[in-house]
Amino acid sequence: MRRFVIALASLSMLLAGCCTPTKAPVRIVYGLTLAPTGIDPHINASSELGIPLTSVYDTLVYLDPDTGDFVPGLAKDWEVSDDEMGYTFYLRDDVTFHDTTPFDAEAVRFNLERITSPDLASQKARFMLGSYERTEVVDEYTVRIHLSEPFAPLLDSLSQVYLGMASPTAVQKWGDEYQLHQVGTGPFIFAEYVPQDHLLLRRNPDYAWGPSVYRHATAQVGEIEFRFFTDPATRSPALETEGADIMGEIPPQDASRLAESDAFRIEATPIPGVSLMFFLNTTRAPLDDVRVRQALLYGTDRQAIISAIFRDTSPVAYGPLTENTFGYEPAVQGYYAYDPFQATALLDAAGWTDTDGDSIRDKEGKPLMLDMVLMGWGYMPEVGQLLAAQWSELGIGVNTSPPVSYPEALEVASEGRHHLIPFNLSGSDPDILRKFFHSQAGFNWSKVNDVEIDGWLETAARTSDRNERESLYSQVQLRVMDQALVIPIRDYTNLNGINDRVQGLRFDAQGWFPWLIDVTVEPK
Amino acid sequence: MTKYVGRRLVQAAFVLWLAVTLAFAGLQLTPGDPAQALLAASGATPEQVAERRAQLGLDDPLPHQYARYLWNLARGDLGQSWLHGRPVGQMIWEQLPATVELAVAATMVGIVLGLALGILAALRRSTWLDTVTTAVSVVGLSTPTYWSGLVAILLFSLYLRWLPATGEGDLRHLILPALVLGFALSGSIARLVRARVVEVMEEPYVLAARARGLPSWRVLLVHVLRPALPAALTVVALQLGFLLGGAVVTESVFARRGLGKLAVEAILWRDLPVVQGVVVVGALAYVLVNLTADLMQTWLIPRLQEELT
Repeated sequence: MRRFVIALASLSMLLAGCCTPTKAPVRIVYGLTLAPTGIDPHINASSELGIPLTSVYDTLVYLDPDTGDFVPGLAKDWEVSDDEMGYTFYLRDDVTFHDTTPFDAEAVRFNLERITSPDLASQKARFMLGSYERTEVVDEYTVRIHLSEPFAPLLDSLSQVYLGMASPTAVQKWGDEYQLHQVGTGPFIFAEYVPQDHLLLRRNPDYAWGPSVYRHATAQVGEIEFRFFTDPATRSPALETEGADIMGEIPPQDASRLAESDAFRIEATPIPGVSLMFFLNTTRAPLDDVRVRQALLYGTDRQAIISAIFRDTSPVAYGPLTENTFGYEPAVQGYYAYDPFQATALLDAAGWTDTDGDSIRDKEGKPLMLDMVLMGWGYMPEVGQLLAAQWSELGIGVNTSPPVSYPEALEVASEGRHHLIPFNLSGSDPDILRKFFHSQAGFNWSKVNDVEIDGWLETAARTSDRNERESLYSQVQLRVMDQALVIPIRDYTNLNGINDRVQGLRFDAQGWFPWLIDVTVEPK
Repeated sequence: MTKYVGRRLVQAAFVLWLAVTLAFAGLQLTPGDPAQALLAASGATPEQVAERRAQLGLDDPLPHQYARYLWNLARGDLGQSWLHGRPVGQMIWEQLPATVELAVAATMVGIVLGLALGILAALRRSTWLDTVTTAVSVVGLSTPTYWSGLVAILLFSLYLRWLPATGEGDLRHLILPALVLGFALSGSIARLVRARVVEVMEEPYVLAARARGLPSWRVLLVHVLRPALPAALTVVALQLGFLLGGAVVTESVFARRGLGKLAVEAILWRDLPVVQGVVVVGALAYVLVNLTADLMQTWLIPRLQEELT
């Protein structure tokens, strides 16, 4: 009803010829592809939440995507103790939250205690703190984080929005509805959030403590409205009807069309982390035979998949890490070039031949059939179908599942009821490999149990020396490919559709999170 | 009459209990562990996942969980979303206006369109007009709103540029989704209304009215439409489930918020408290609307009133 009244009122104003132009702030609309499943970065895990909130919260440090170095944020400087279990941060003394609460060491302690409190039931932030033990307030602007054992990814974690600094006053005031009233110190103020409908950020005019990675001192756009476009088919129409000025995750087939237009452009952002790959269950016959796993890799024409499904918008993946992730081992590119003859030879050698003439290989009366479990997003069903088609020419049969939900996929894979199951995950630190290839990992969907891999991963997580980490992760990647534990398909790439009057969209080291402070817009 | 209403209320309570119990049972049967879904991507250890399971009360025996669930519902406590970490009641309350807005607008479109098509077809029975209107209603009935929604966006937003494709705000944003959902609804209304009007037109009192020389619009309005209206009403009430279900798709095509979207997300993530909350609210709405429709029927058809008293 209220909306109706407003519509009537504005209509009557129009009719009355009331046209005094009020100088409205420049507003752009940013299309998100998921309604985030909760948007408190301390509680929730969705990567979608970071797109707006990276500009609401500042972090203690920032990761410069160009150099790979950490640069000062809310912390001017920091020191790591010799045993690498104490991190001392020297904080800026000129920072205030949007609600005028001053930022100090006590605020840092409050935030880290909130994140690690069991009552908050954090889904991501708590785990990013690794072996966190407690926070010590040294003085008003000095704070020390104590760990129970060295944890190399700590600075990387502290550079992400999930560990952004929230106003203690606001958190205490709003309790379990804080999500709708978030308060940080960033270049944009969290102005309004109507769940599933829109989220509005307003420029923070007092912002004066931005990190060196930002190009502007304060935000260049007055307001940014985020709307949710869950259905991929609606994304490019929304851009074209000017329902949005920036839109993430444009489907590849729409991207090429948009790229040709004069009014829009596509900016492809590579996402670091674990590439889209199929995990091969090494404990379930016939994939317990390394020759069969290698045959699958040789028999996969990745370039054909990239061309057909991704329209050449993402690079072919050769190993478990994407090429722009720290610690990427380029030698993986020499592995398993498409070679159907090699695949055939390996299958023959493993004893799989087509004895009954049904064009599916068999061995001891059993046909070479593989169960492939697919989830419904990220083009996994399409890639799965294409793989099945490629392998059928080698005499391998594939049962593809109807798309399953995420919880169901987790259950099937942890029980090992699959031969093949795809996944990808983003993250800037190679410690992400520990989630997939450690024998105790939740995503150990290859069912690998390799003492050496476990050792390398554990050591690398405790080592801060970059060269040493690099060489440990290199060993992991090579072992994963030697053992043919996965079939990498593509490095994840986010296709952003952008109205040409919007410029300066840059992303942080995670690839997902824009630095909205630098976005500029030409008037219509 | 009071006895009748009382009986209907008891039935309504039973339906509510059945709905919430089926929702509970349904989620028990779907594969997937909510605690694992929440924490797997964070790299939590199996012990930490187990800890969360216990925290969510998922380790308790099923009868215990069911009893606690019913007891909380009875107290009006919908609990906290496992996924969002927010009060479920509040989350539903936020989405409700958008859902009601769309449902009401679509129902109005559906009734007007359905009545018009149905009456037209009945009055011009067995002519080309009847064939065309019947065909239109069949198209409405059988076209998935996903498809008609995208076609409407392409036509009215992208090419003609008359209406915004997506989002919410003023009435202009409501027109396309209401038309798409209303059109789908009109099909079943039109078919029932047509059948009913054809029937009524043969009734002796209508023939008598026409024989008396009453103007045909009066015959139509007073003698034909009034008996035909309850038919439309019943369909609308019965289609409430469709309105909520179809709205899920319409909501996502037009990037609107709503209960449907909330429910789908909750089911995908096994977010039990939210699923239960939406089911309770949906069942409550269903029961209330049908109760109202039945009571209105007794008002529109005096014969029923006598039978009931």
